Amino acid sequence: MQQALEGVFAEVVLGPVPSRESLATLCQKHAVNADDSAALAESLERLRVYRELVRGNLREALSLSIPRSMARLGPLFDEYFDRFLAEQAPRTHYLRDVAPEFLAFCAPLWVGDARVPPYLSGLGLHESLHIEVSALPSLPPGHVAAPLSLEGGVALSEALRLVRYRHAVHELAADEADRSVPSQRPVSLLVYRSPEHEVRYLELTPLAHGIVERLLAGDSLGSAVQGAAAEAGSALSEAVLGGAAKLLADLAERGVVRGPARPK
Amino acid sequence: MKTAPTSPRPLGGVGLGLRWDFLEEVVDGPDLPLDFFEVSPENYMRRGGYYPEQLEKLLCRYLLVTHGLTLSIGASAEPDADYLRELRVEIARTRSPFHSDHLCFSSAGQRSLHELLPLQQSRENVRRVAERAKRMTDVLGVPFALENITYYLHPGRAELPELDFLMGVLEASDAGLLLDVNNVYVNSVNHGFDPRAFIAALDLRRVVEIHVAGHSRKPSGLVLDTHGAPVADPVLQLLAFTLSLSGPRPVLLERDNDVPALDELVSEVQALRKIYDESVARYSATGS
Repeated sequence: MQQALEGVFAEVVLGPVPSRESLATLCQKHAVNADDSAALAESLERLRVYRELVRGNLREALSLSIPRSMARLGPLFDEYFDRFLAEQAPRTHYLRDVAPEFLAFCAPLWVGDARVPPYLSGLGLHESLHIEVSALPSLPPGHVAAPLSLEGGVALSEALRLVRYRHAVHELAADEADRSVPSQRPVSLLVYRSPEHEVRYLELTPLAHGIVERLLAGDSLGSAVQGAAAEAGSALSEAVLGGAAKLLADLAERGVVRGPARPK
Repeated sequence: MKTAPTSPRPLGGVGLGLRWDFLEEVVDGPDLPLDFFEVSPENYMRRGGYYPEQLEKLLCRYLLVTHGLTLSIGASAEPDADYLRELRVEIARTRSPFHSDHLCFSSAGQRSLHELLPLQQSRENVRRVAERAKRMTDVLGVPFALENITYYLHPGRAELPELDFLMGVLEASDAGLLLDVNNVYVNSVNHGFDPRAFIAALDLRRVVEIHVAGHSRKPSGLVLDTHGAPVADPVLQLLAFTLSLSGPRPVLLERDNDVPALDELVSEVQALRKIYDESVARYSATGS
């Protein structure tokens, strides 16, 4: 019987405001017996209270994570929030992970919805990465005082995400009332947590993105630079090698490069 | 420099629910006149960065006890094995003397509802939930306790009164009781029973901790367990009554919404300590 009752509860709190009729239909759908159905019908108002509580908690979790995206969506947010709850609902134990689940659900739908600005998925991702990166598990900080070699790999901090946006959403003002439109250009961004636990953002060139991406995949430093240069259509010149050395020094300064590692 | 104890210490006295609103102030400030802090492990599990580091610093100065939110012990599905594994690690990290969660369900299949939802008070649920609660001590590595929740409706027909349901689960599982006297009060108003009679009928030997919190009243008259206001006088009186029957039990102030300044919360905890001392003295004097 618990399964039947929790099925009704879930549909009530995640679905449209229940009426006497819709509640009766739900009870029937979940095979709740007549006695329990009648008792639930008597508690319709209180079921609506639970609906408000559940939705209030989830909405608050989203507003802490993606306030600017919600503001730009305006009334459309409610439409997608309702769809998310009714069609998928959160799967996570952690309220901080509700926003990424909401965005993953919405991303394919927004592509086909002309009412949603094309940059909104990028903005949502950019906003939610702040909490995600601030909370990523990591090993205790501390640099390994050994030099890097071209044959070896490079250990990077676990508290980072390497992302690409189609719009420069990271340049938008933090003000929720801001409605300026970001420029359309490919952006590669390294979002990382500093040793002081600040979430920071570093825009990368395509070459730098390629190097970091390959190092994260476990390539040796030499192979990462070579692969990234080939991908960017550059020869492995002095300038490329010098640029790679500068990038690694900068990342070490930021606490992103932790030292040498065995290549995978 | 103080070092964190390596094994759990017994919980006692009065404490405060740790919230991020004042975490930094607690870490950076002088020692507070509190005996312990309670933490929601979900806020620290499976994460790195600032908050776990701050919590680590507190361990050297305060006793911590864990109180979970999303075990969903009463759901039809078994509790999530990954969650339990991570929870065990977090409990060990905080050296919590025991772990508690709520006698409720908060998930439906794969869907996490993030609210404490009431279970049908049935014999079948007593058997089912008790069997799970019994396993929790082994699964989590520390004694396990269940909290009585606030419920705004009973889902379906109740086969048992709340008291029999609660005690049935605790007795069959041998779990501890985290007695939330604000929840007893809120339920007594919403469902029309005598809160003192309810508490007097409990097996108070099972109580491992007592919670108090604030509540609010909707225009409809329904009282909501909001944790968003100071503890109301009737709840303080009920706390005194409970302690005079149970003897010394750790008392915790919960405040999750409209969180005031830390010194205001500490003052409220100090008022709880006065009630605690007086009530326990009464208990000792009567030789209960």
